[in-house]
Amino acid sequence: MERYDIAIIGSGPAGLASAINAKTRNRKVIVFGSSDLSKKLTLAPKIDNYLGFYGIKGAELRDKFKEHIDNMGIQIENVKVNNIYAMGEYFSIMTSGDTYEATKVILAMGMEHTKPLNGEDKFLGRGVGYCATCDAPLYKNKVVTIVGYNKEAESEANYLSELASKVYYVPMYRDDYELTQEVELVKDTPVEIVGQNKVEKLKLKLRELETDGVFVLKDSAPPEQLVPGLEVEDGHIKVNRKMETNIEGCYAAGDCTGRPYQYMKSVGEGQVAALNAVEKLYTK
Amino acid sequence: MVKEINDSIFDEEIKASGEPVIVDFWAPWCGPCKMLGPVIEEVSEELQGKAKFTKVNVDDNPGVASKFGIASIPTVMIFKDGNPVDTLVGFRPKQSITAAIEKHI
Ligand SMILES: Cc1cc2nc3c(=O)[nH]c(=O)nc-3n(C[C@H](O)[C@H](O)[C@H](O)COP(=O)(O)OP(=O)(O)OC[C@H]3O[C@@H](n4cnc5c(N)ncnc54)[C@H](O)[C@@H]3O)c2cc1C
Repeated sequence: MERYDIAIIGSGPAGLASAINAKTRNRKVIVFGSSDLSKKLTLAPKIDNYLGFYGIKGAELRDKFKEHIDNMGIQIENVKVNNIYAMGEYFSIMTSGDTYEATKVILAMGMEHTKPLNGEDKFLGRGVGYCATCDAPLYKNKVVTIVGYNKEAESEANYLSELASKVYYVPMYRDDYELTQEVELVKDTPVEIVGQNKVEKLKLKLRELETDGVFVLKDSAPPEQLVPGLEVEDGHIKVNRKMETNIEGCYAAGDCTGRPYQYMKSVGEGQVAALNAVEKLYTK
Repeated sequence: MVKEINDSIFDEEIKASGEPVIVDFWAPWCGPCKMLGPVIEEVSEELQGKAKFTKVNVDDNPGVASKFGIASIPTVMIFKDGNPVDTLVGFRPKQSITAAIEKHI
């Protein structure tokens, strides 16, 4: 398999700042993210604190970023990264389609602002999970509840209903739900996951569901789920001044490392991360 | 070396004299398990003589899997004198697995 020097997870300001700096040093780089770069960037009405661009609209700044990476021949791999495994000498990067390998990784996936459910952390691995299809066979003939934050979660529910004895689907968004007949739609608000040693029930505002498993499916999993073994403090990835995490060869930059959540901080961190990653590649 | 064990010999195998016994619960359909396999193999070489390494395929051995409430794989359990002393759920990098085991050596 082709191995990249640096894989960048996220296409916001932090990820792009990493990408252009790594590319300047002639490194083989891959950037994962979305073609619109960053939803937050597009949404910002007016930006007054990005040096050199007084009063610019978010969408305009995004177009400038796009032009910059296009000029440097940097493309964005429009796929979601599900997991990154630190194998020792390199990283294995899993997407829903292909697997990739890279010597260094820079995490720049922004911040997920929705809070975990009560009991979610407590029962993680003891009935709570973040990838229904991964653990599906363990729930053969059992009851599974899916708390879905996006459309993709619906297909995971449909898939699970082929194995599980019962599947509940609790949507956290409004839409038409494309669910098979076997899946029971529960329009209610989750309050808490409860049990003794493992998950037994999901309590909602109006009712309680007896269940063996609860899967919480969001756009992006918490960083410590994305990169198993990663050290996280108060929901942010812990880094030092070189933007190194606790895992050797893995760096982080941007909102995911902590406050303040701003463009200049993000691009600065992205640059520091990339330059240090490149430096390590040289000295090796 | 990591020894493949099963339901029928499980109890016997985890009663190693003194040293901790590591059990890697896995299944062939599980992606993260495939990544963890070689990592555990490396750890077993490094800690040779200090800990015993085994693995259990949960598809073929539902008995032990349900006895220890394995709800997600990979799960690595550490046993001492036949009793579970630590449970690591999900993939972990080598450093963190080694550190967890060394606490019990
Ligand atoms: C409305 C609004 C206005 C703002 N105004 C300002 C302002 O005026 N000044 C200012 O300094 N800041 C402002 N901000 C904050 C600023 O937008 C953020 O600080 C900045 O976008 C952070 O950049 P980032 O690169 O860390 O993350 P993001 O911009 O969030 O980018 C992360 C990218 O990674 C992708 N991603 C995440 N997970 C994965 C995965 N697993 N696989 C692949 N891709 C993934 C996401 O889809 C996203 O595209 C504003 C934010 C908002 C919402």
